Amino acid sequence: MQIGFYFDQTRCTGCSACRVACKDWNDVPAGPQNWMRVLYTEKGKFPQPFVSYMIAPCWHCAEPLCAEACPVDAITKRAEDGIVLVDSEVCLGKAECDLKCLKACPYDAPQFGPENNAKMHKCNFCLDRHLQGNLPDCIEACPVRALDAGPLAELEKKYGSNKEAVDFKYSRRTKPAVVIKAKKLPRALT
Amino acid sequence: MQPSITNAMLTKFETEKEMSNKSISRTESGVKIIRTTSTFDCGGRCPIRLHVKDNRIIRIEGDDAEKSEQLRTCLRCRAFRQYVHHPQRLMYPQKRVGARGQGKFERISWDEALDTMANELNRVKETYGNEGIFLATGGAYLAGLHNGGFAAQRLLNQFGGCVTHYGNISSEGAVWASLTQYGSVMVGHSRDDMLNSRLILLWGWDPARMISGTNTMYHVIKARENGARVIAVDPRYHDTAATVADEWIPIYPGTDTAVFVAMAYVMIKENLHDQAFLDKYTVGFEKFRDYVLGQEDGVNKTPAWASEISGVPAETIERLAREYAGTKPAALMDCQGPARSAMGEQYNRCAATLSAMTGNVGRPGGSACGGLMGIPVGHMFRMSAIPPGKNPFEMDGPNVKGTLDIRLRVIKRVHINTIFDAILKGKKGGYPSDIKMMWSMCNNYLNQTGNSNKAARALEKLEFLCVNELFMTAQARYADLLLPVTSAAERSDLTRPWPSGPYFTFMNRALEPLGECKSDFDIASELAERLGIKDFNPHTEAEWLKMFVELNPEYQKHIKDYDKFREEGIHRVKLPEPIVAFKEQIEDPENNPFPTPSGKIEIFSQRVADLDKPDTPPIPKYMPTPEDRNDPLFEQYPLQLLTPHPKNRVHSELYLVSWLREVEEHRAWVNPLDAESRGIKDGDDIFVFNDRGKVAIKAWVTGRIMPGVVCIFEGAWYNPDKDGVDLGACANTLTKDAYSGGGAAVLNSSLVEIEKI
Repeated sequence: MQIGFYFDQTRCTGCSACRVACKDWNDVPAGPQNWMRVLYTEKGKFPQPFVSYMIAPCWHCAEPLCAEACPVDAITKRAEDGIVLVDSEVCLGKAECDLKCLKACPYDAPQFGPENNAKMHKCNFCLDRHLQGNLPDCIEACPVRALDAGPLAELEKKYGSNKEAVDFKYSRRTKPAVVIKAKKLPRALT
Repeated sequence: MQPSITNAMLTKFETEKEMSNKSISRTESGVKIIRTTSTFDCGGRCPIRLHVKDNRIIRIEGDDAEKSEQLRTCLRCRAFRQYVHHPQRLMYPQKRVGARGQGKFERISWDEALDTMANELNRVKETYGNEGIFLATGGAYLAGLHNGGFAAQRLLNQFGGCVTHYGNISSEGAVWASLTQYGSVMVGHSRDDMLNSRLILLWGWDPARMISGTNTMYHVIKARENGARVIAVDPRYHDTAATVADEWIPIYPGTDTAVFVAMAYVMIKENLHDQAFLDKYTVGFEKFRDYVLGQEDGVNKTPAWASEISGVPAETIERLAREYAGTKPAALMDCQGPARSAMGEQYNRCAATLSAMTGNVGRPGGSACGGLMGIPVGHMFRMSAIPPGKNPFEMDGPNVKGTLDIRLRVIKRVHINTIFDAILKGKKGGYPSDIKMMWSMCNNYLNQTGNSNKAARALEKLEFLCVNELFMTAQARYADLLLPVTSAAERSDLTRPWPSGPYFTFMNRALEPLGECKSDFDIASELAERLGIKDFNPHTEAEWLKMFVELNPEYQKHIKDYDKFREEGIHRVKLPEPIVAFKEQIEDPENNPFPTPSGKIEIFSQRVADLDKPDTPPIPKYMPTPEDRNDPLFEQYPLQLLTPHPKNRVHSELYLVSWLREVEEHRAWVNPLDAESRGIKDGDDIFVFNDRGKVAIKAWVTGRIMPGVVCIFEGAWYNPDKDGVDLGACANTLTKDAYSGGGAAVLNSSLVEIEKI
């Protein structure tokens, strides 16, 4: 089984409740380490601007290139649900290994604190919640219900199979576990 | 807020057993989960579950009701624990040791602090009389029991009285307009009713950011998904517009009423208005029609006329009028922001008039307008609170209950947006008294009312300033005495949804008070002892709260099991159908007149006509104002300043919370045209300035704001450097301390210029 995320880009207001909830649940300090990022795009000109947001957690890829890139095998993918985990204790640190995981990831999911040789941390699908049968905290935090999570096959059945959107390109090499309802970019801006 | 129990009722209360502990559940790791809410003036009121261990909140979860019933909290309360446990929380009483405003303080004991405060109250009373004492309270803690405002008012009333302020910063324009037009402030629909709308006009309303009731944005999105067309009319392409709007119509600030009037012109000329509705339910439409058609002042209020004023093309105004009149039902969603302007109440009144012209009042999927959006189930205005009693200072004043005459309201009180002018000028300036000392709680008015530089000068002039606070806010820096108060997590209390339900919330205390913090009510109670006031606080917390519920008819109607309510932290009211304001008046007008003198919707108000004030005409009108685009000052300051709600704090509360701060940098929105002509690039440091002040801030160059308008979100903390430049970029360093004819704080009618630093 492979878990995954669903994101309704047409509903997202960019409020960042998901991002703050993630920091609260996982005890991540303010600063550069953001397990859930909210990307912003603005295109076009006054008076017809186009605005969209895109969430950016770890997509728990079917083929996690980050795991292959890690020199000390600190990154593993759970067989039972596909959650990709990092053992930060084993991680060499960003200076020592020169960010190999980050360079391998098409989505900038590996996150590092500001300290020298910070160890890698990232979204773990709220594993503690998952093991208790709960959804990740970001999902339940969304005030406009733009997020869902669960077995990827079920998400695809429920929400379709689109995996392209503004600020997101599907990587055929890593196969991120996501379904997106994309916001349409006006033709003039494509 | 009107406390709905009286002193007399209190004596009937019998002591109840202390609260049981069913509201607390424990996990295996020794973590308690406490059901509560926050008390911010945030626009929502959301059930939250605090995970607590060793008197610290370690995590927060939201509502755990059935998915379809969940009231989901926003990012602000997701960061609640960083607020409660912030390293800069004030933890013990302090007295000033440096110059006033310098921010130098020294720790003192509670005994010394309370003795100092009691001595100052006695000194000022003996030297100048009670009128020398000014009480400044605000909306920073919206609950019934530990609300500093009610506690301090009760204390000072029993001490012989004080001067206080009238009105709130947010909504006076909308309140005045709703009372004038409808005789009621309950002008909203429950949010699910938007699903009945076929057209939604977001006119100056951005619920994605300012919330407007928990789940409101969710319902706007659902309405759009249900097929409603959504048009945003606003100087900014705000987050709500960016998410749901099919069309954005940019409009200059302060000119909404001109466009409304021209829309009325189009409807009248093309006979698109609902004359039968107007005949049956309204009075005075003919007078409004005469004004619109120029028979009153010789000016035809054509789309071309409004276009000149508002920047909205005439053909767009025509199309908007036809679309609004021709789509049934349609919800014109006006709000309070555009009403915080020099003739703000006209915007809400004129919106309500258009709503009547299109027959959308009292209709599912429509909107009565009026800007307040509250429903009469769980409304904050009907919450219970500590009975403050009567203020002896106001006993010989006029009866102001329900009056539309702001002149009467400022005979014994000070308008909230002129507090600091009143301190500076006193009786000679026409204010009710000469203010010598101020006691402040639940507010940061230096920061949150107009003209912060003037406010700082006023606070320097006071003989004594005592501030109850959680943080060293911009205003707290000027204190002589700082009293540290508990946060909502350290209190049990009763809260109400903002601005309405349909639900009620209960706060269960999650933490013992941190440091030496006390609640405002406890502080007032201890001062009462020192001032020789008897029976000030005769009940325990548990007794008060139960009494509030038992003596409030609205709670009694809905809450049959107090313990269940307390343990669950919420009571949800199931509505058989969405609440629609004035539905009864429309369905059965004979038996349900509107609560106005005429019993009808008053497009013409005789009560307002009787005021005989040029700034409050009896029919809604567009009027030029100071600091609009036709003011001669426009030559010098050619940009209009907007000061909307921030998304990552509640006004100035939560300002220091780093999880929120990093979500959005404090920047001024500038259109590329205005930036380029001044050599400003995105991310540049700029000054925004006028004759009242100068702020330093980063520019965000974006096509999401129209040319000629600059936006700075309110609530960043005022922080002047030695040259007087506000490095905190508080929006109110640039705004004016004035109020409109209907009492609206004039915070969105400011002209500014910008330059690259």
